[in-house]
Amino acid sequence: MDIWTKIFYAVISVVIATIYGLALGGVVRKIYARVHGRYGPPVWQPFIDIIKTHAKRVAVSHGIMFYLGPVFRFAGGLGTYLFIPVIFGSAVFANFSMAGDLLLVMYFIFFGQLGMALGAGEGGHPYSPLGIARGLSQMTTFEVPFALSVIALAIQYHTLNITAIVAAQQGSILNWTLFTNPFAVVAAMISMLGMNMHSPFSIVLAPQEIPIGPPIEMNSSFLATLQTNRGLFVAAKLILFMNLYFGGATNLVVMIVKTFLIYMFSVFVGAAFPRFRPEQAMRFFLKWPTIIGIISIIFVAYL
Amino acid sequence: MVNPIYIIILSLITGFLLSIFDKIGRKLSMTIFYGVLSFNLFVMAIWFYRLLVVDVTPLLINTAGFVAPISINLRMGLQEAFILLFSNFIALFAAIYLFKKFKKAKISSLVLYLILSMGVNGLVMTRDLFNIFVFLEIVSISTFALITLEKNLKSLSAGFKYMLAGGVVSTFFLLGVIFVYYFSGNLNLDFINTGTFNNLGMIAVFMMSLGIFIELKPFPANGWALDVYEATDSGIVSVIAVVNSAAIFYVFYKIMPMIPNNLLQLLGYAGLLTFVLSSLMGLKQENAKRLLGYSSIGQMGLLISAVVFTTNAPEFISILIVGGFLVNHLLAKAGLFWITGIVKKEKIADWGVLNHSKPLLILFGLLLFALASLPPFPGFWAKWEFIRWLIMEKMTVVAVLVLIGSLCEIAFLFRWFNLAVKKEDLQESQIETSHSMNLPVAFLAGVLAVIPVIIMKYFYQIDLIHLAPVIALIVIFIIEIIPSKIKGILSLITLGTYGYYLYPLLSGLQLFFAVIFIIGGGIILISTFNRKGLNQNFYGLLLMMILSLGNLLIAKGYLEFFLNWEFMTISSYLLFLRGKNARNSSFVYLIFSIAGAYLLMLGFAFAPAVSSDMVLLKSITQIQLPLVSIILMSLGFLIKSGSLGVHIWVPDAYAEAEDDVTALIAGILSKVGILGFFVLAVSAISHKPDIDIFYWIGWIGVLSTIIGAFLAVFQEDMKRLLAYSSMSQIGYIVASVAMLSHLGLVTALYLSFNHLLFKGLIFLAIAGVIYRTKTRNMYEMGGLIKKMPISYISVLIGIIAVSGVPPLSGFGSKWLLYSAFIEKGWYLQSGVLFFASAVSFLYLYRLIHSVFLGQLKYEHQNVKEAPIWFILPQLIFIIALMTISTFPNLIIQPLNAIVGNYIDSSIVIDGYKVTSSLGYWNGNQVMMVTMGVFMVPLLLLLLLIGKTQKVKQFNIVFAAERPESPQTTHVAHNMYAHYKKVLGGWGKPRILSFWNGVAEWTHSLGNLFRQFYTGNGQTYILHIILYMVVLYIILGV
Amino acid sequence: MIFSLILGFILLILGISMMLTRNNLIKIVIGFSIMDTGIHLIIVSIGYIRNRTAPIIDAAVNIKDATSQVVDPIPSALVLTAIVIGLAVTAVMLSFIVEMYKKTKSLSIDDYQELKW
Repeated sequence: MDIWTKIFYAVISVVIATIYGLALGGVVRKIYARVHGRYGPPVWQPFIDIIKTHAKRVAVSHGIMFYLGPVFRFAGGLGTYLFIPVIFGSAVFANFSMAGDLLLVMYFIFFGQLGMALGAGEGGHPYSPLGIARGLSQMTTFEVPFALSVIALAIQYHTLNITAIVAAQQGSILNWTLFTNPFAVVAAMISMLGMNMHSPFSIVLAPQEIPIGPPIEMNSSFLATLQTNRGLFVAAKLILFMNLYFGGATNLVVMIVKTFLIYMFSVFVGAAFPRFRPEQAMRFFLKWPTIIGIISIIFVAYL
Repeated sequence: MVNPIYIIILSLITGFLLSIFDKIGRKLSMTIFYGVLSFNLFVMAIWFYRLLVVDVTPLLINTAGFVAPISINLRMGLQEAFILLFSNFIALFAAIYLFKKFKKAKISSLVLYLILSMGVNGLVMTRDLFNIFVFLEIVSISTFALITLEKNLKSLSAGFKYMLAGGVVSTFFLLGVIFVYYFSGNLNLDFINTGTFNNLGMIAVFMMSLGIFIELKPFPANGWALDVYEATDSGIVSVIAVVNSAAIFYVFYKIMPMIPNNLLQLLGYAGLLTFVLSSLMGLKQENAKRLLGYSSIGQMGLLISAVVFTTNAPEFISILIVGGFLVNHLLAKAGLFWITGIVKKEKIADWGVLNHSKPLLILFGLLLFALASLPPFPGFWAKWEFIRWLIMEKMTVVAVLVLIGSLCEIAFLFRWFNLAVKKEDLQESQIETSHSMNLPVAFLAGVLAVIPVIIMKYFYQIDLIHLAPVIALIVIFIIEIIPSKIKGILSLITLGTYGYYLYPLLSGLQLFFAVIFIIGGGIILISTFNRKGLNQNFYGLLLMMILSLGNLLIAKGYLEFFLNWEFMTISSYLLFLRGKNARNSSFVYLIFSIAGAYLLMLGFAFAPAVSSDMVLLKSITQIQLPLVSIILMSLGFLIKSGSLGVHIWVPDAYAEAEDDVTALIAGILSKVGILGFFVLAVSAISHKPDIDIFYWIGWIGVLSTIIGAFLAVFQEDMKRLLAYSSMSQIGYIVASVAMLSHLGLVTALYLSFNHLLFKGLIFLAIAGVIYRTKTRNMYEMGGLIKKMPISYISVLIGIIAVSGVPPLSGFGSKWLLYSAFIEKGWYLQSGVLFFASAVSFLYLYRLIHSVFLGQLKYEHQNVKEAPIWFILPQLIFIIALMTISTFPNLIIQPLNAIVGNYIDSSIVIDGYKVTSSLGYWNGNQVMMVTMGVFMVPLLLLLLLIGKTQKVKQFNIVFAAERPESPQTTHVAHNMYAHYKKVLGGWGKPRILSFWNGVAEWTHSLGNLFRQFYTGNGQTYILHIILYMVVLYIILGV
Repeated sequence: MIFSLILGFILLILGISMMLTRNNLIKIVIGFSIMDTGIHLIIVSIGYIRNRTAPIIDAAVNIKDATSQVVDPIPSALVLTAIVIGLAVTAVMLSFIVEMYKKTKSLSIDDYQELKW
């Protein structure tokens, strides 16, 4: 396949995923509002927000790194998404998954986070590093069960190739990792709660303490870029989880249904639980999910 | 040919006539005095030359016209000539050293000195037991009298104790001699056969041997000697400690054939005990001369155990061991005692005064290094052969004790050295000295420096390239007066030439490490061009370190390898020591490094022989190493690489070294442990050890990684942070090597290379920052991105590479790492590594944020970009990093080939795509996609935001408050307080308290033992008597 | 002669015990001298052989049978040297004591323990 077709497909894929991710965000806000007993914004509110922030007349920049922060962030979202094969067997949605395997995706997630953290850092606002320090710390802890779960997958499927992992889960619903290695899935799903930064793990944005944390200095198109990325990035992570644990998707509809349901898990938990303090959140990840992760490895490797 | 008996005759005659000559004038008597001493030396030099080179037969001198055993006879053989050559040498130079004192002293001092010298000569040459007693007493009495050259209370009371002890000891000796005569009917050593003695006769032999043995100051019957060492004039004490001791030692050697084997063995162990305990007790010493005293009795103990335990050894080895230790002790100890007389400071803490006289400081260092048995001095070779011999004879405990004693000795010697080099001299006092005092010291040091060349050339036939590190040091030292930059350029040229010389000799693994050591070293060396002024004693050490690293790659056999290993240790220690506050950190580094080197030495001693015409790095992979050898060597390498448990030298040493030196240490020196470990692993792949020791080493590596990362998170000092980061990164490498799989080894090499690039890069950038801001505390900085953008970019690229975020080469190492671990089946380990790798984000972000981002401090408003010499090597590293990131097969392919030499490849390289059994990675494609996805939002933003509004510092959305100062706004100090809570005890340096405890206990133990020495003369006599009783009981049992 | 041998040993032990127990420097030196004397006595006793004459070749001793007629001459020769040496050591010791006494006006050995450990 020549490179331009590839890029063309990638653009389609990215646009669809972004729109889907943003819409998902709208739905979630609606759900939260209803749980709180409010009416809530319309589902398309995220789109309105992006357009509105882009339209701001003044863009304040604190320096080159500040400028590049959102770029890094969005590039991170784009890259993460583009290294994941979205739909099993589809050329359009295969993206650039031939460049690397699961490890690449896991590490590319950091790309955006790091860049954003640097950009926010140059903003000079004390809440930014506070939020980042919390975010990074929490990240180190939820990565542990997730990594253990991924290692369990690698043992189980003898590969780190995402496409191959999806392929291995085809055929019957019982072939899903969810059923073949439930411990790994539990560990990973709990760590996803941390990744998605909903309650009880929303310590990074924590509106009441460090109003929205890292992006606090971001404005106009910088903020819009971040908002756009938020949609894409959520979609990318959900698709990754779907691929790894829930049998992947053979078409767009299955993909949307599965990812929606996966997301609802963290949404429901978030709506139901209050926020942890930072050290509580981190200790939590290092305890039960980690133990479950270790069990999942023992389960596939030694039993 | 002069008959050596004329030494005795001439000394006696002039001794008696000297006071008459003195009536004519002191000049005449002095001339005669020095003339006789020179004559003695000259005679011995001739004899030594003739016996050694011309190979004449030893001379037996009969007296009174009879043949032995009727008469007393003297012998002049090679051994006698050897001992007397050095004894007379020291005696002459000690006399020169005492020139000023002798000029003023009563003539009797000169006479006594001559008689003493005569006694020593007689003592060594005579073959008659009673004659030994007589000469012994002559030496003793003249020594007693000479002690009063300085008539103060201390020397008098010490001398009196000495006389009491000496009197009792010689009484026992005489008693022994007389009964030996009674049972054998003979007094001549060559005609006494103790084999036929009955029990009573054995008691006589026992008394006689112990009489001599106690003169050699075994623990604890040696308190009198310590007091004498402390109180007596430096010139005289050098004679007592060196000339007398050597002669008495030789007497012991002479009567050794008469001593029954079980007693001899016991004495050997007693000597060993003396060595270990006196080294231990020396740790608590603060008085310079008493410290040397402890060292002296220790060395005598070591000599005794060496001569006893090597009786069965081949001549070549025993000469090297005993001769090496002896010469080392004679020369170094005499020189050091003389220096104590020049410096005139009792407390070692006051020795910072030596800084006023650099040449003297260098001499002091040289002698101290010799005394510590470091290469290339004679003690080094002796210790090497001694340990090997002991291990071969299955006397492992002895070998271990010798090394423990040596380590303690090094500890107290180098604590002293560090004080002399680093302690500020608050009193601003000057050293008063004269040529007559300096010259002998310098001459001794010169002789000490020549001997190694002889040993290397005649005993070992070692290629003199292995002296290159030392030669480089000396040459740069000679041209010290030219400006720093020129020396730097010369050093670069030297490195280039050396690399050119080395290149044809290398292949595969060696070549890879040569690139790291020499090219890496060369690039980092550029940064030192920033140094101003003369910058003395720097480039020599730098070259020494890099050359010895290079020499490790071409070393054949264990000895050459170990020699260069020690050179590397010494030079890096001295480089560390140059740091401003590096007194303690460099000391800890040295102690750990030497301990590591000793472990290595033991490991080599246990290992089977390797072919001597192949480099060790190759030959060792072809033999089956015993398990104990693998464990010992691994420990040695682990210490060098700063793995968990033995890592505590790392943070301080890195932090306190000069900033460009830190880059060098982190970039290249940290790899040398890996080199050794790698070779060990390769050997273990083809020759499996009985126990899977590498599995546990793997865990050590993994735990180093995570603990290092934890500790790095909580550092406020950026160099300490990076030091812990290095510990963590090296942990990855150790763990990868320990897997013993193809992918693991490739990973290790890849990581090593990467580590050179990114750590060199970050440390150099940091060096620039420190150079400009004059602080290492990160919270004192902030916002420097606007002032030092290039440094910022360096750090940025560096931390991306460290963290393993794609697209830079760091990700390649992570990919290889996890693939290798999962492939190997080390699942939990890889989970821990994941954790560590995530934790690394914490400290990396802290580093870059606290320094470069956030709020700029007012005092840094005018800070400039780092100097060009710091920037230049950074650019080189950045280019290299970007190149291997974009074209990963530039590095993966050669590494695959290198490891392919040892083990079948498990990866497929197709273009830029690397495929393992688990997954795949196309570095080039990742780079392209990343560039693409980066450009899209960037262009978008540029399009959408035409022009941004620039705002001033502090123009931020700060809720309900106006930020006052950068200090209150910049979040930096204790940034991860919450994480500390999470980790609890894991974030605390616990190992440090363990090692502090070890140090504390060792010192307390030393303190406990030295309570024996109460200072009471009667107690000392009691010690001597009890010592004989206890030894006799042990012998009976 | 066994008697003088035993006496020698008794003197030796007496001397040593005196050196160990007396506090006064002079007495310690006296102890040393006694010990020395003891050992000299031992040396001489060893050379003595019952019913023989002094090892001097003169009218009383036939040169040919000298070895069976005289006592062992060597110990006697040795003891002379030993006595001289003992004397010298004692002299030096005493001179030290004089010097020490000049400095501190004390003859107790307990006052000279400044150097220790």
